Amino acid sequence: MASTGKSTREVLLSIVDDIELIAKEMIENTIVQKPLKLSNEEHAQLTELLITKDNEFKSVLKRAAEQAKINLKMEALKAEVERQDQDIQQLQRQLKEAEQILATAIYQAKQKLQSIARANKRPVPSEELIKYAHRISASNAICAPLTWQQGDPRRPYPTDIEMRLGYLGRLSDLPLNGQMPGTHPGISSDLHRTGHPVGEPPVSQANQFAWHSSGEIHMSVSGQGSVAMNTHKQETEDVEVMSTDSSSSSSSDSQ
Amino acid sequence: MESELSEETALRSQFTVDDLDIEILPLIYEIIRSVEKDPHDTTQKAKESQDTSHKILELQKKLDSARAQIKKLPGIEYSKEEQLQKLETLRKQLRLKRELLLKYRNMCTFEVPKV
Repeated sequence: MASTGKSTREVLLSIVDDIELIAKEMIENTIVQKPLKLSNEEHAQLTELLITKDNEFKSVLKRAAEQAKINLKMEALKAEVERQDQDIQQLQRQLKEAEQILATAIYQAKQKLQSIARANKRPVPSEELIKYAHRISASNAICAPLTWQQGDPRRPYPTDIEMRLGYLGRLSDLPLNGQMPGTHPGISSDLHRTGHPVGEPPVSQANQFAWHSSGEIHMSVSGQGSVAMNTHKQETEDVEVMSTDSSSSSSSDSQ
Repeated sequence: MESELSEETALRSQFTVDDLDIEILPLIYEIIRSVEKDPHDTTQKAKESQDTSHKILELQKKLDSARAQIKKLPGIEYSKEEQLQKLETLRKQLRLKRELLLKYRNMCTFEVPKV
């Protein structure tokens, strides 16, 4: 009935137009003068047309009702599509995020693998590592300031050498050197510094031993300088009691 | 936009084909009958013609209101064939989107690289 490509609304409106036209024709026909009147046959045709148009109108209306139902379905579908669209978008966003995170992780992991491979290529023995650590801790302090970074020349604390160069270090050196002219030049200044300030009792001062590279033990006695152990054995009996195990053993060896 | 849409659907759902008030044929019949009566009494004739003109006006109004109501009917922007086609397109769209979603959901199977 309805030509395709024409919307149902257009069809309905055109039918209404047709009905209006036919009705007008019929009403005019009733008013017009007798000779101009349509024949009965024509009149019947017109009436027939009006009735078919009316029937057509009703059937198209029925179709419109069906279409209204379909329209409801379509709207539900549209809403569903919209929801899926949102889901897809959200998922895409999440995937993108995950991709970024993974890319970063992979980059970092690759770097780590590279450094592992580099380490495997040139292994460092643990002995050497410990030695190196010793060297570092000898010339530098152990703990760096929080803001310290690689290449920073600053040291967290004065190093041992810096300490010795300082005023305090020299102060403790001076009087000892003056009092003990015979002090062995090979004795490390460390011992003097950590050891004995001026004015300590002679017993503890006599208790001072110093290692030499030769392995000989020397004992410094105030006023007399350092003397070899074996020569003074009898005189310093009390000293031997208080001395360490190693010194006593070495002294007994020398007897 | 969404609220506008829902408002529109609400307005549409309020008006269906069953609510239509389009009965034209009885009016036409009435008019023709009253014209053809053609009474002999002049006062009656004047009254009758006034009545008829009133009925014609009514018919005109009825036709206009029919047009207005038709314009308000929901879901008849397309012919039925077109509408069904569009429905099918929407269904297809929905299916594709569902498939895409499923694809996304099942995509994340990672292969653990062997070091």
